[in-house]
Amino acid sequence: MPNITKRRCLARLQTFDARWVDPKMTDLALEARNISKRYGETQALKDVTLSLKNKGVTGLVGENGAGKSTLLNILSGLMAPDTGDVVFGNGISMPVGFAAAQKMGIGRVFQEQSLIGHVPVFENLLMGTDHLYARFGQFLSRRRMIAKAQDMVDQAGFSIDVRRMTRDLTFSQRQMIEIVRACLGPSMLFGVGSPIVLLDEPTASLERGDEVVFLNLLENLREEGSLLFVSHRLGEVLDLCDSVVVFKDGQRVAEVLPENVGERELHQLMVGRERDADYYHENRQKKPDSQGMDSIRFSARGLTRPGQYEDVDLRVAPGEVLGIGGLLESGKAALGQGLAGVERPASGEISFDGESWLQPVASKLINMGVGYIPAERLTEGMIAEQPLAWNITLPSGDIFSNALGIWRHAEEIDVAREMIDGLKIKAGGPHVTCDSLSGGNQQKVVLARWLARDIKVLILDNPTRGVDAGAKEEIYSMIRDLTDTGVAIVLITDELLELIGLSNRIAIMRHGQITEIIPSPAHQKPTEQLLVAAMLSSREACEREAA
Amino acid sequence: MSQDISSKNERIAEKPDDGPKLDLTSGIMLPVAVVVSLIVFFSIATESFLTVRNMTGILGQASTLLLACLGASFVILMGCIDLSVGAIVLLVGAITVKSLNLFDVGIGALLVAMFAGAGLGALNGLIYAIGRIPSFVVTLGTLSVFTGAAWEILQGRALRFTSYSFEELAIGQFIPAIPNIALFAIGIWAILALAGRYTRFGRYMYFIGGGEAVSRTAGLPVLRYKIYAFALSGLTAGLAGSLAVARLGAAGPTLGQDLLLNTLAAIVVGGTSLSGGIGGVHRTLIGVAIIALLDNGLNLMGVNQYTQMMIKGAVVVVAVLIGQDRTKSTVIK
Repeated sequence: MPNITKRRCLARLQTFDARWVDPKMTDLALEARNISKRYGETQALKDVTLSLKNKGVTGLVGENGAGKSTLLNILSGLMAPDTGDVVFGNGISMPVGFAAAQKMGIGRVFQEQSLIGHVPVFENLLMGTDHLYARFGQFLSRRRMIAKAQDMVDQAGFSIDVRRMTRDLTFSQRQMIEIVRACLGPSMLFGVGSPIVLLDEPTASLERGDEVVFLNLLENLREEGSLLFVSHRLGEVLDLCDSVVVFKDGQRVAEVLPENVGERELHQLMVGRERDADYYHENRQKKPDSQGMDSIRFSARGLTRPGQYEDVDLRVAPGEVLGIGGLLESGKAALGQGLAGVERPASGEISFDGESWLQPVASKLINMGVGYIPAERLTEGMIAEQPLAWNITLPSGDIFSNALGIWRHAEEIDVAREMIDGLKIKAGGPHVTCDSLSGGNQQKVVLARWLARDIKVLILDNPTRGVDAGAKEEIYSMIRDLTDTGVAIVLITDELLELIGLSNRIAIMRHGQITEIIPSPAHQKPTEQLLVAAMLSSREACEREAA
Repeated sequence: MSQDISSKNERIAEKPDDGPKLDLTSGIMLPVAVVVSLIVFFSIATESFLTVRNMTGILGQASTLLLACLGASFVILMGCIDLSVGAIVLLVGAITVKSLNLFDVGIGALLVAMFAGAGLGALNGLIYAIGRIPSFVVTLGTLSVFTGAAWEILQGRALRFTSYSFEELAIGQFIPAIPNIALFAIGIWAILALAGRYTRFGRYMYFIGGGEAVSRTAGLPVLRYKIYAFALSGLTAGLAGSLAVARLGAAGPTLGQDLLLNTLAAIVVGGTSLSGGIGGVHRTLIGVAIIALLDNGLNLMGVNQYTQMMIKGAVVVVAVLIGQDRTKSTVIK
């Protein structure tokens, strides 16, 4: 306890300092030095150094999973790095917790909206500063809160009545509220002269009019504070930023000046890796003229789930790998759930081997030979505290119990042993619980679940997330084994190399629709740059043309 | 605790290639030790505890509790809760007496009770699974509905019946000194313990309790099995109700009153986790033994009702404290 009190006192002293140290004394607003962060087996950040100048906009780009969000979490006090430290320009270290970081002048727009829907806008804007409007301890002065919040949105040039209920606003308007809070909160609420604003994909969901307001706000703000701008829209990054830092696989690979590079070079820096054909067993990829490739194993038509994907058609041949790529919010993960019937689409049908069309419902599809591996292994993929053998037989009550409903324990153990040997799962045996296994071995167990059934179609969502390189290769090899037996594979993944290396064709999803199908034959693989450009859409390009 | 770890290690040593068995028995040493020490303690503290007459009495009391807990153990294993067990016991008890008095069904009243209980349980399950309302709320509501309905039937008085054959079902002694109700309870316990371990139904209960989202993603008929579990809970509660009535010779308004706390206590003390997926109906037997011994022993020692309530409540909380893995739960509701 005394320790905590002491820390609080220090924090208060520090805020005091932060306000009074002349910002001109130093050139840096915030510096992260030699930051490393690990989640289990994944090295999210490796010895990363990043500094934000006192005035201006720094860009941060990288693929999904490059470590951008992790760094932002560290820079906003939400997470402590394993090694390295974050220091403000005046020499004070980053405090623990977002609330404390806010007092030091940090503002942040989160990638996923963090507003509370059922309260008025002004409460969201002023969140965390309620005590300033309290009278007699508990009673909040609504009038003063509304005035203050209205003042904030007006200054931002954003026209909205702050008394409206937050959930009644459009997605774009809610995003603007977040932006206003992050950008003007530090100066207007916490009295910090030079705010440090972290913007994580702020423009991803903005409508045209709101985007103009945002860009104006940004222009004003760059005179006062320092901004870190994270975006997938490289054109925007190059237009807005004073310098751009590039992340790849948790490391900082470059810092460039926008005047020196174009989008193409920036792509190159983001993804430029060597792709090893052996690693993905590309020689085993089915050729278009090989047997079965002219027939259809699995097809979908008109799949729609409002807000997530719309009118999706696709066809997969036996032994083919159809890759689906796209940005995080492109709707590809939801489409995977829809294809497997886990989250039923509002409309649309699927069919096997050109037979009758039916509605995708998980239990029915599994009986017909569909397997689905979700991206979230621990919450949707496996029951970690239960035994390995149980996790293998999970969807196969039809196979592992008889007509009377008696469970076939002996068969269960036999199959589990076979899988442990066949897939080289490093586990003590069928009875060990899965929480003792590594990520790669856990994923093999999930895969074994479907190998134990006679599947025709396998839908994979990020099958190698959190899996080490060795196990990754083994999983790729298993996927090839499956295609050899004529299983059709739908591979949804955020890893570009995997997408390119494994797929026969790559469907690109954007805003819930398949916008393009890029062929990916074994000896003529598309480049990462091509895919990224397709995923990012030509929206920027179109707009530029129009302008 | 250290005993537990060493016994696990031994098991690994015995079967190196299969790994430790999923432990349907791990953590069972502590409750067994508690049962033994309770027996020793009460034997020393009171003279009348360790007598055949008292043991027969304990068996009779514990059997109602055990029957009422059996189905509810599956519900808790599945990660839900059934608060209406006591109310179903009361309502089905009342229905049993009414049907005995009106139609002279004799032993057939047992069938009536099973159907009525299963129906009431299925009603809980349907509302919970299809309405997607927390089971806590559903069964809290039906607890009140069923209790009210029972009092309506009983008109607030104890309702007697005269059917020797039906009475004999509970208090007859097919084996000397062991009332038949205990045979029923142990028999059904054994069947359900085996069902938990060896049937698809049992396995699905573990799956749903261990990871409902995982089960759903794997295409399990989660909704249907939830309804089954609640129906089973009602069925065993119905059996408990009718056999309790047979044992007592009447259905009174206070029947099943103590079961709300006692069933939850016995299940949790036995080692079935309230978060689901861990434990099982086989363990409930020991939990019931602990609660029944405590009840009986404290009565014999002359501890008053109020103090007993305090002791039992504390036992439940302590059992959950010991049994829970606090490192895994982040959100407590």
